[in-house]
Amino acid sequence: MRYASLFWEYIKNYAKTRLTYRADFWIEVLSDLLFQGMNLIFILIVFQHTPSLGGWSEAEVVFVYGFFMIPYGVFSTFFSIWNFSERYIVKGEMDRVLTRPAHSLYQVLLENVDPPSLIGSFVGAIIMVLCWFQLDLPFQLLDVLVMLLLILGAVLIYAGLYTALSAISFYSDAPTGIVPLMYNIQNYGRYPVNIYNKMIRFVLTWLLPFAFVGVIPASYFLEKKADDLSQLALLTPVMGIIVFSLGLFLWNHGVKRYRGAGS
Amino acid sequence: MLAIDVKDLRKQFSVQKNREGLSGALKDLFKREYNEVTAVKDISFQIPQGEICGYIGENGAGKSTTIKMLTGILVPTSGELKVNGYVPFKDREKFVNGIGVVFGQRSQLWWDIGVIESFQLLRKVYRVSEADFRKRLNELVERLQLGELLNRPVRKLSLGQRMRCELVASLLHNPSILFLDEPTIGLDIVVKTEIRDFLMQMNREQGTTILLTTHDLQDIEALCSRVIMLDDGRIIYDGGLDDLKNRWSKGREIQFQFAGHTQLAKLRQLTESLDVTWSMENEVTAKMWLPHAVNVSDALACVVGGVEIRDIKIIETNTDDIVRSIYSSGSASTAKETV
Repeated sequence: MRYASLFWEYIKNYAKTRLTYRADFWIEVLSDLLFQGMNLIFILIVFQHTPSLGGWSEAEVVFVYGFFMIPYGVFSTFFSIWNFSERYIVKGEMDRVLTRPAHSLYQVLLENVDPPSLIGSFVGAIIMVLCWFQLDLPFQLLDVLVMLLLILGAVLIYAGLYTALSAISFYSDAPTGIVPLMYNIQNYGRYPVNIYNKMIRFVLTWLLPFAFVGVIPASYFLEKKADDLSQLALLTPVMGIIVFSLGLFLWNHGVKRYRGAGS
Repeated sequence: MLAIDVKDLRKQFSVQKNREGLSGALKDLFKREYNEVTAVKDISFQIPQGEICGYIGENGAGKSTTIKMLTGILVPTSGELKVNGYVPFKDREKFVNGIGVVFGQRSQLWWDIGVIESFQLLRKVYRVSEADFRKRLNELVERLQLGELLNRPVRKLSLGQRMRCELVASLLHNPSILFLDEPTIGLDIVVKTEIRDFLMQMNREQGTTILLTTHDLQDIEALCSRVIMLDDGRIIYDGGLDDLKNRWSKGREIQFQFAGHTQLAKLRQLTESLDVTWSMENEVTAKMWLPHAVNVSDALACVVGGVEIRDIKIIETNTDDIVRSIYSSGSASTAKETV
């Protein structure tokens, strides 16, 4: 309850500071959408050369992409901690966070909320609905509930992975190289994993479970394929809880190793 | 009850060794070597509730590291530590509710939003009720004259204004212990005095325990009944400021202004029986240096009988000089032996 009211306070302050720079706000929204649009165009171009990708049709892959945009948007809103290492560890702002009575990760997340990213989620939802009609999928009310559960699981997976990634800064001096690497790997999860070789598939499913953010949960709603990824779909929330717990554990353990900066 | 109880506290950092040159950097890439640096070396001290204690030492002596351990930011390598009844790094979230922290070099406030909004946010973070918050804020605002600043964003405040706001921010939840890390750094004398008066008053009226680090010994003189001096991670002095002065100052100086031209030889002759030294400033002024063993009245009596005096000034060695000599000698205990 208290954490919820804190959240609201921070959002209000975000609004006060950011909305005063209107142009900046819209530019961010626009660049976010452009970035997602480019990815989508890439998918469309691929399908101009081939009718199906590993047994997946164009509409299905776009559907997966639409699904992916929802948890990704939510994640980007609450976990935009790309500059954690530089701002909180190198500059020592973690000092301030640690002298306040709320969980340190929660404070760091709140100080960096980025609501414009949520627009990506809405666009993703629209894309998904359009594909739903195009693919002529059956619709039940239960689907909506399952969808929410899967989205939540996917967000947790992302959150856990990036929490763990940020927590590495507590252990190592400058883990700058890892973030772009992860950023590239995460993109693989949006496409049907059966197009990759076994090794990459295994990594994407079980080690860095980005497949659980895109293709696996989305396949629950699509026609069954030969290798039937949808069997794994309901594992998404479980994976989410496991990955997030690991990330949180790594964070809590890492905070104890925080060394401060300068005087 | 003890506000702070520290026993054999130690903090070690492993610092990466950087070898020289390009070849060194290449070697570092594959095999790193680490140095263990001990910033705080098994220190022990206790601070009772309601005391204002100064924590001084050269740059890099380990002051900030100690403060960070006491406030729960850093986890000590070894030793026992109890602040306000808590082990700071274990029950961090509960513990920090009872302390206030001001880092002079770093802002606690949000840069872009108005001061009052920062305060409101802190109110939520610390779970202070609206009524308590209003009451406390009004008191503090009136006391520190912040009235017209409250709606300005922090980035538009001067350093003095910001520091007063920082103080208010750290006190909104009515902490029983206040940690101040160089609170007067870079401030002008008016703001410094104002902050000192304020801290003094708060200590007197509410019994707030204050631990402050500073390089400005006037802060210590104005505020602290007790001083802990740190050098190279060890405590080299722990006691009253007067004690420190009495023990380490070797004597005092008396400056005389005479009615007429006076010879050095004559002055020396007058005080023959005493262990004092004379030096002439100019033809009519002379300085007499006398160690603590010699009474001022005895010395004066000798001089007064022999020459006509216009003016007398007694000059105490000031704290700056004393502390400087302790810093440069490295340790207060070695200084003691040489006295």
